[in-house]
Amino acid sequence: MKTLLSLVERNCKLFFRDKGTFFPSLLAPLILLFLFIAFLGNVYRDSIRSIVAGFPISDGAVEGIAAGWLLSSLLAVCAVTIAFTANTIMVQDRATGRAKDLLVSPVQPALVALAYFIATFLVTLMICAVALGAGLIYVGAAGWHLTAEDLCLAVADTVLLTLFGTALSSVVCHFLHSQGGVTGVQAIVSAAYGFLCGAYMPLDSLTDWLKDALMFLPGTYGTGLLHTHLMDGAIGALAGEGIPEALIEGMKDGFDCNLTFFGSAVPEWTSYLVLALAALVLIALYVLLCSVRLRRSGKRKIS
Amino acid sequence: MNIIEIEHLKKYYGAVKAVDDITFWVKNGEFFAFLGVNGAGKSTTIGILSGDLPRTEGIVRVGGRDVDECPAQIKRELGVVFQSSALDPALSVYDNLKYRAALYSITGAAFRERLRELETLFELGGIMKRPVGKLSGGQRRRVDIARALVHRPGILILDEPTTGLDPQTRKGVWKTVNAIRKVRGTTVFLTTHYMEEAADADRVVIIDGGKILANATPLELKNRYTGDYITLYGAEEEKLRLLGLGYERVGEALRIEVKDTAEATGLILKHPDLFTDYEITKGKMDDVFLAVTGKRAEGGML
Repeated sequence: MKTLLSLVERNCKLFFRDKGTFFPSLLAPLILLFLFIAFLGNVYRDSIRSIVAGFPISDGAVEGIAAGWLLSSLLAVCAVTIAFTANTIMVQDRATGRAKDLLVSPVQPALVALAYFIATFLVTLMICAVALGAGLIYVGAAGWHLTAEDLCLAVADTVLLTLFGTALSSVVCHFLHSQGGVTGVQAIVSAAYGFLCGAYMPLDSLTDWLKDALMFLPGTYGTGLLHTHLMDGAIGALAGEGIPEALIEGMKDGFDCNLTFFGSAVPEWTSYLVLALAALVLIALYVLLCSVRLRRSGKRKIS
Repeated sequence: MNIIEIEHLKKYYGAVKAVDDITFWVKNGEFFAFLGVNGAGKSTTIGILSGDLPRTEGIVRVGGRDVDECPAQIKRELGVVFQSSALDPALSVYDNLKYRAALYSITGAAFRERLRELETLFELGGIMKRPVGKLSGGQRRRVDIARALVHRPGILILDEPTTGLDPQTRKGVWKTVNAIRKVRGTTVFLTTHYMEEAADADRVVIIDGGKILANATPLELKNRYTGDYITLYGAEEEKLRLLGLGYERVGEALRIEVKDTAEATGLILKHPDLFTDYEITKGKMDDVFLAVTGKRAEGGML
């Protein structure tokens, strides 16, 4: 256990000491939050007003809903993209020969693999916590409608999504052996994931076939959960402003708080189940890949 | 007692025979040198010995146990310093040692005690808190060796530890290695292509193309593969020429190659007027290597 903790500590420390990796990772969510507010804030505000066109709606309510959307989108993207950056340590160890050096010691290779996983999870979670903190300040300034329950659920969503992101990045990074490779993958994930998980654009605004296709990706369910828990309070508060229930539900649909899969509503527990199962399957795949690598090495010994 | 036993070891990568049926032993406490040019099979043998590479065939025993049967126990017996440093440059010397020690379950008070010993032995006091990336090449190598010894292994494997270091730093590294041998009687298994680093070894094995070409003490190798040299200072070149002695100019001196020490003695006694200021030296390990493999060592002389 002490060995595992020590390996995890080493991996985390390496990430935080590498200023070239740590600072961009830390700044990325903050920059993303700023970009969201600066470039997309008005788009979402207009979108909210257009849904309730003809009904009076206060600026505070609009700001609260927009802030909830921005924060949930930010967390959904960070939980996965930061995991890919955090997993750089595993690839670097392989590229520099330090992985070989680790295996000259009596430590079990499985323990080394587990330590990378835990460290990636912890690092990603820490950076997501910073993003959540910054985002909550913004939400507080824009209009606070979050209940304690919603906030706790949003934290749970982030933890689960981080677990999923860690598992996904561990499987992908398992095949990478160079810094260039991991940088390339990070670039692709950073560019594409926000669109693929419904963070940058609500799924409801996409064509039906694309929306249904994206619902096959587990990350989408995590984004949906975050949207629900960080926007539900703000959208629900519209009832107090005299907005009809049908319009409120329409707004929830429009901002992916109510996900559908081929026209059928996806209950919240299903979203949790899909995300948790996806994380478990990816973890199992990671374990399988690690053991196959070990078994291959064993077979070579006999041949 | 043999601490390392390698018998008929083979390592093939398809048609490439990286190691081809080699057999040798290393005695406990011995300074063993494994010489060869790049690609000769040195690092492959070390990889197999340390459990990093699987073998195709043969027996590899450390402390009487097969490396495949009880790898964890054998790994505790080995400390390995690779050619390229395995230190984490972003971490301090202290952290590098601490995290390495934890892999051997050396933590808390046991680690602090070991740290004090290593600090003294390797003179790490002033650099303990500094990031490894900011150390000089020599300091980094010292930390590399200290890290390999953190769990008190019986065998220290040095895989080309001085490659790329300047002569002064190389001397510093060897001073440290010799101190370790003196203090703990650690077996040192060295691979190098700096031939003169092997001159102080108890036993030398020369490998080329995956096969062992020579296995003996440095003295035996020098006697077998090179002659002696008489270096003359202040002698007249013309006299040597008249005597018909083959010679070469080395700086201000003249060097005569003779078959052995007996021939050198005979020559000196026969021409005392000529040999007034001279020295007799054995051939160098570079000459041995050249004679055995037909190749010049990449490292050249120290």
